[in-house]
Amino acid sequence: MLLLRRIFFRKIYFLALILSIGSVAGCSAIKAPVPKDPDALADYKATNDPYEPLNRKTFNLTMKFDKYALKPMAKAYRWAVPHVVRNSLGNMITTMYEPSVFFNDVAAGKPRRAGDIFARWCINLTIGLGGLIDVAKMLGFRHHANDAGLTLANWGIPSGPYLFLPMGPSSFRDGAGYAIDQAFSPWNYVPRGYGLISFNWAYNSFAMIHGRSEHLGEIDALEQDALDPYATIRSAYQQQRKAQAAAIRNDHRATVPAWYHH
Amino acid sequence: MTFLIRSRLLATFISLFTLGSVLLLSSPSSWAQHRDNSQKFIQNFGNVLVSIVDSPISVSEKKQKLIPLVQQNVDINTIGRYCLGRYWKVATVKQKTRYLKLFHQFLMNAITDKLGDYRGVSFTIGKITQNANDDTVETTITRLQHPPVTMQWVVSYTSGSPKIVDVIGEGASLRLTQRSDYSAFIAHHDGNIDTLLSAIQKQIDQHARAASDD
Repeated sequence: MLLLRRIFFRKIYFLALILSIGSVAGCSAIKAPVPKDPDALADYKATNDPYEPLNRKTFNLTMKFDKYALKPMAKAYRWAVPHVVRNSLGNMITTMYEPSVFFNDVAAGKPRRAGDIFARWCINLTIGLGGLIDVAKMLGFRHHANDAGLTLANWGIPSGPYLFLPMGPSSFRDGAGYAIDQAFSPWNYVPRGYGLISFNWAYNSFAMIHGRSEHLGEIDALEQDALDPYATIRSAYQQQRKAQAAAIRNDHRATVPAWYHH
Repeated sequence: MTFLIRSRLLATFISLFTLGSVLLLSSPSSWAQHRDNSQKFIQNFGNVLVSIVDSPISVSEKKQKLIPLVQQNVDINTIGRYCLGRYWKVATVKQKTRYLKLFHQFLMNAITDKLGDYRGVSFTIGKITQNANDDTVETTITRLQHPPVTMQWVVSYTSGSPKIVDVIGEGASLRLTQRSDYSAFIAHHDGNIDTLLSAIQKQIDQHARAASDD
């Protein structure tokens, strides 16, 4: 009995040792060394990407998945489904994301933006046949993007280091924002056992393929023109997020739409 | 004597004051002048660009017409220098010359490749903001069956005449993104600038091959 116990503990120790060695080795593969040269250090700080080695690994895996699975599916989808139908399905996806945009507009303290989204949700789900037709846009309620990452940004929370996640470029803040958005999406609360879970999976996968099909040309061009696509995406993403947060911050339109005054 | 010094001091003060007030008074009007120049410059550039793209001539003819327009209105050398970032300081004269030559070709290819995208384009000029050395002109570009896009053009006057030094689309500056690309590439090749030069050369060769296949 005692022997068994010893063997058991030895195994545990051994496992712990392997894990600690693994994590130390992992750390060096996860974190980039801080450069000593002042110019290189300035670049290192500007890119805000201390986990670059890990991020690059995720990026390479994602690009492989894209090359062999997502891109071919997106191309097939584009080939098989007519433009008008794709457009309607795209509208449906936009409508389904609208609740989390609404919550974020409210959290950002932008009633005009929240009102636009609320009107879109009501109009498109009813007259727009469940979101298939963007009637709200014809009535002047344009869609705008918002997510919890941007809300946190406007609350003054810094982005934190850059992250490349399997769903795309992100940061510590935007990754947390993604989790919050998932929590605010009503589609994640559908009751089990009604086939709705499988609907959810189908819907999410479909949204991914549809989203990819909208950017076929751009991503091809990026892979062709960029010498280091990882760095190009990182830079463009960081700049774009700053601009998006500023656009929300600087939106001071009145709550009442213009037509109300006429 | 003291009177003389005093009067001189007074004269200096007066002249400084007049100069200051003249500068103060003239600055708003010169900014207005500046703003008008930037607006006119982008308006003219855009008009010529749209007229070339929409004209009923072949694509190769359009490209030929586009080259002088871009060379005249875009400060390619300044953009190229910016894109090399911190490596510009350490590059040799030979490397710099070769790099700028390659960068010219690369940028021209990138612009002329997008010719088809600009068909049926119309644009309006929006807000103009003044930065330290340049103006940013906002334009809203509309294309058929596409949602309107906002693009900003950064116009610099450092060369004496207005020149485009950057384009900002969806919040991302083209030259900054390009600089990140080049910097990361050189950094991952042990800081060797020649690897960048051969990579750009390879891109240009591939482009020429693709064009001859068409």
